Amino acid sequence: MQRRELLRMMGAGLLLWQTPMVRAGQPRRPKLVWVLLRGGMDSLHAVIPGFDDHLVRHRPGLVDSQLMTQRPLARGFALHPALEGLYAWYQRGQLLPIVAVASEQRSRSHFKAQDILESGVYPVDHDSGWLNRALAAHQGQGLALAHSVPISLRGAPLGTTWYPSQFPNAEDDTYTRLLALYQDEPLLSARLEEALATREQLQGAVANPRQRSFADLAAACGSLMGQPDGPDCAMLEMGGWDTHNNQASRLSRRFAQLDAGLVRLRQHLAASWEQTAVIVATEFGRTVAENGTGGSDHGTGTALLLAGGAVQGGRVLGEWPGLGHSDLFEGRDLMPTSSMQAWIGAVLGQHWGLSAAQLQEVFPGVQPAATRLLRPTLNLKPDQQSRRRL
Amino acid sequence: MLDKNVLPASIATNRFGLGARPGDIEAAAKDPQGWVLAQLQTPEFSPGLPDLEAAWKLLVQDRQQRMAARQNRAVIKAPVTASMAAAPKSAATPASTTTSASTPTTTSMPPAIKAAAPAAGEDPLKSLHFELLQDGLVRSIAAEHSFSWRLLDFFSNHFSVSANGKVLQVLAPLLERDAIAPNLLGSFEEMLLAVSRHPAMLLYLNNERSFGPDSRLGRNRKLGLNENLGREILELHSLGVEGGYTQADVRELAMALSGWSVARLNGQEKPGFVFRAGGHQPGARLLLGKRYPEAGEAQAEHMLRDLARHPATARHVSFKLGQYVVSDSPPVELVDAMTARWLATGGDLREVVTVLVRSQSAWQQPQQKFKTPREFVVSFCRACKFRHLPPRLLLNSLTGMGQRPFAAGSPAGFSALASGWDGADALLDRVDWVARLAGRIIGEPVALGVTALGPQLTPPTRRAVMRAESREQAMVLLFMSPEFLRR
Repeated sequence: MQRRELLRMMGAGLLLWQTPMVRAGQPRRPKLVWVLLRGGMDSLHAVIPGFDDHLVRHRPGLVDSQLMTQRPLARGFALHPALEGLYAWYQRGQLLPIVAVASEQRSRSHFKAQDILESGVYPVDHDSGWLNRALAAHQGQGLALAHSVPISLRGAPLGTTWYPSQFPNAEDDTYTRLLALYQDEPLLSARLEEALATREQLQGAVANPRQRSFADLAAACGSLMGQPDGPDCAMLEMGGWDTHNNQASRLSRRFAQLDAGLVRLRQHLAASWEQTAVIVATEFGRTVAENGTGGSDHGTGTALLLAGGAVQGGRVLGEWPGLGHSDLFEGRDLMPTSSMQAWIGAVLGQHWGLSAAQLQEVFPGVQPAATRLLRPTLNLKPDQQSRRRL
Repeated sequence: MLDKNVLPASIATNRFGLGARPGDIEAAAKDPQGWVLAQLQTPEFSPGLPDLEAAWKLLVQDRQQRMAARQNRAVIKAPVTASMAAAPKSAATPASTTTSASTPTTTSMPPAIKAAAPAAGEDPLKSLHFELLQDGLVRSIAAEHSFSWRLLDFFSNHFSVSANGKVLQVLAPLLERDAIAPNLLGSFEEMLLAVSRHPAMLLYLNNERSFGPDSRLGRNRKLGLNENLGREILELHSLGVEGGYTQADVRELAMALSGWSVARLNGQEKPGFVFRAGGHQPGARLLLGKRYPEAGEAQAEHMLRDLARHPATARHVSFKLGQYVVSDSPPVELVDAMTARWLATGGDLREVVTVLVRSQSAWQQPQQKFKTPREFVVSFCRACKFRHLPPRLLLNSLTGMGQRPFAAGSPAGFSALASGWDGADALLDRVDWVARLAGRIIGEPVALGVTALGPQLTPPTRRAVMRAESREQAMVLLFMSPEFLRR
């Protein structure tokens, strides 16, 4: 038996991107890409507050005038020079930095802070992620470019994973028999079915299915999401942000890689880019003052980057707390003035039309930001509602 | 005669040991618990491989060669400035690498690895890196006392370092040989000290250039503190993130550790750990409410000794160990008993592990641990007697599955939990991996299943294996069976 037939018989197609027939003829669905920068990206080095005289005093070895002036943003901020593609988006109104944000619950531990950011509830529930809960409300499907399901997407079975494989495929019949062997193993059988269905879906969609740099993964992500029945959201991860030393040169490289990846994401999303919102976040900011080794240590306040054709960008949001000593959080970190979850909640409300009650499921106890973040013309709410009634 | 022991014997060899080799289950059936306890012997690596001193020589040589090459280029390109370029200004910097870092990525996202296998005629540092990695893997596949190798994997991951960059690619694998293995069945205190003083850890967590703001180096040369090692010792290595420490404690430990550094790679200093008194923050420190008078190098040592015996450390490490061996949610009474033994013995690891082995709750069916890629590959090779599989193929396999040794990319190490490894894509990768090697396995599939799993081999798997359309397919079904994926 051919695997294609098998999958059809077992309904694996339905398991993956549900409801292709329901969606046919509908306008393109709003896409969300969640990019998690693991390691604590130094926001003061990305969205640089050049107007704040304290900055140079805190970081004499990290900032220079070129950094502060080359890519000017609103309100006297500047974007890091290596973020070239993102800056072009900003100029077209497709990038929206939000400064001085932090998670509702804080930790200077990478792992705890990442868990908080991914789960979106506190105490952390490692089996339930905010993106999964949002997808459940939106009745959508998700994809993680990872070997295993990250916390953000854990929960109800609404998503799957894909990561470039190094091994040639086994024979179809062997998969069939394994699925039969797993009949009393709901988890193993569901996972194997998902993986086979994703592979099926991917045939031909990804140009280089064995490459795994961030840019390659971002490109694959764009190809998959841009397909007619592609997932509604995807999660990308990128490490290498824990710059305790040699920060200036390390971040220049890292920003260039991030930038290249997001540009490729856009290219491969093609027309879907216009309906896409990208959220780039990190678990915490870093100390305002540089440390003894040309880097910075774990801090608190950071920045959120929203990007995409659906975003109403070209401005910088977030109340600026100042960098004077008494302005700092615990005398060392950027003081957060707004909640990361409040902004993400607002994106979900405006992009996917989630109601206040649904947003309480996603981020319990969080009041979504009232600011408009996305272009109003792309709010597909009426269509979505009619679709949901089907 | 020993029927009642056959199931415990398969647990002894698969849950405690790294997987049954042919004959192991029969051997363990005489006394499964005793069989496991007899395995508590210090793991031994291949004797011929370079130690820290020899590795250091290579690093010094490599550095000299690179400097000479740079000088030659400078002479050719710009003869006027050649004398300036020749001034060894970097000779004053400790053995640091620009790529040493502590970058958490998920276990599911391994750092990109450029070359999975070395090419012929490559540089000696890279060859040494591969030799060390292969030796650890090959030895655990062949290990007679594989429970101790499991424990070594646990502590090596507890003190995870990533082999990033020229220097750490050879130093990272030495950490488990020099600092962990010799203390594996001794006191945790000595292990924590040995690890914290090892150049791999000092470089990985950026302590080699962390100097007190009021130290001589701090004042005169504007060098300063780096909190990374201090924080990870408290959060990951000892108390645990809920262990009751504050940001002030992180800073105090980092201050005490300032000056704990690494020899320069100029061939002048003795290899390894160096205490730079001129970089040590002077004065008494307050950690977890206790005052530590100024004692130079020994100040941090006193703190580490206290941390190793702290009740939060005892619980944190006991919990992780129970979680590693027995279940993602280890029984509370098991963790309590291990913690109590830790506190009673001052952290004697042999004693703590013995409590684990003697606990009934560690021997329960059903299998609760989903094998990590390393556990899967090692147990597969043990069952198939794959001693001579090319080690590079094994390393490439682990890279492909996201668990290349010393590449966790995060000081928290690899996940030990099912959720880190049982994703859809990861499962499919395993099927394809076994399918690729299935043709090399010698033996009759059902018999192989019995020697590897004993009574844990289920009737449905046995049937599926017998009905397979080819031997190779039978092997895939056997090794991808639920009972072989778990332990």
